[in-house]
Amino acid sequence: MSAPLVLLRGLRKAYGERVLLDIGQLAIEEGGAYVLVGANGSGKTTLLRILAGLETAQAGSMSFRGEQFGFAAYPERLRREIAYVHQHPYLFHTSLGHNLEYGLACRGLAAAERARRVADAIEWAGLQAQLATPPAKLSGGEKQRAALARARALDPALLLFDEPTSNLDRVGRAQTLALLGQLREERRTVIVACHDREVMGLDGFARLRLDDGWVTLQSG
Amino acid sequence: MDLLEPTHQAFQLLFSGDPELLRIIWLSLWVSVAAIALAAAPSIALGFLLAKKRFPGQRAAVVLVQALLSFPTVVIGLVIYLLLSRRGPLGSYELLFTPWAIMIGYMVIAFPILVVFTISAVQGADPRVYETARCLGADRLRASITTLWEVRFGILAAVVNGFGRAISEVGCAVMVGGNIEGLTRNVPTAIALETTKGDFAQGIALGFVLMVVALVVNVLLALLQGEGGLT
Repeated sequence: MSAPLVLLRGLRKAYGERVLLDIGQLAIEEGGAYVLVGANGSGKTTLLRILAGLETAQAGSMSFRGEQFGFAAYPERLRREIAYVHQHPYLFHTSLGHNLEYGLACRGLAAAERARRVADAIEWAGLQAQLATPPAKLSGGEKQRAALARARALDPALLLFDEPTSNLDRVGRAQTLALLGQLREERRTVIVACHDREVMGLDGFARLRLDDGWVTLQSG
Repeated sequence: MDLLEPTHQAFQLLFSGDPELLRIIWLSLWVSVAAIALAAAPSIALGFLLAKKRFPGQRAAVVLVQALLSFPTVVIGLVIYLLLSRRGPLGSYELLFTPWAIMIGYMVIAFPILVVFTISAVQGADPRVYETARCLGADRLRASITTLWEVRFGILAAVVNGFGRAISEVGCAVMVGGNIEGLTRNVPTAIALETTKGDFAQGIALGFVLMVVALVVNVLLALLQGEGGLT
């Protein structure tokens, strides 16, 4: 049996006296799709941010494809393997195309390859009509789709989405759910933190439940 | 006092292409632009670090830079004079009473303005900017540059304010430049001199130039900000 893509061990995150996360072990399998559920303030966002290297934990370790490290020494190269999308994604005040290209340029990809991936991302997210629209003028749903497409275009090993359907209207939610379903069909490794019952009910997504700092795998 | 006659003379002087007047205007412009161009990169970088990094003494450093904003420019001029004077530590470079001395003075005066405005712009930036850049694979330097780009209108305001302060500065320019005709006389020092001599025409003409420069620079900034608001 191959090693999990990500393995967390003994993760402990506390704010003062309050222990937010106390996870003995959590394995994220390559190609697995997960929804991370739990009450408000249960630590879903914090767990995703720790995985993305945006926050550290007081104790524990993480291994990525078998390589183990402590949270204080998050490897820089992992930032190109794990893509995190905020609950309210930020799009740079440039153009939609530049937003989609940004991470590709960070990876030093050739211009032709960047253009190919940007075109693919636009088509995947159905944003052809919005290409000339300044990002600030996009609707919430369009911004969310653009952020999903921007993360997918990087072809990372792990995609982390924080409440991607919150504050979206019915149409925006449906479009975002469809894209999440497509990611699952593409066998990408995805974790989606959510409250949304429709996201929890997505086909093929296993459920990770966070309660009192503990995380349990509920179904596969 | 009759202001009409000297104003009429001032405009005649402006449009006559008087070489001395043009030289004074040119000196003011290039010295101010050069000072801001040289001070911008280090001061914006320092402003970014003071806004984003947490380190012992950070608060004290911010207070010190803010205090520099209210330092009298003649005192700054005095310090630079002592440094550049023949017996000063930089006297061997023979910069005193040259345009370069004025440029150094302007850099020192503009520096805290640029730093404080940058701190304000970066602290006001959405924290998701830097995080998003990092999550998309940018290294720290690239994510920092991206953050500065996202607050570019605040940074431009810093540059415009620094430039405005430099081009209208008198005290420091007189002390380290000496207001030497044909060499270091610039717009504000010439206005001060001509006014004390009772030659209001040249003072008004030069004052008009300063106001036009300030207006043009601020209109350009407003236009750029307006464009940014659309994106």
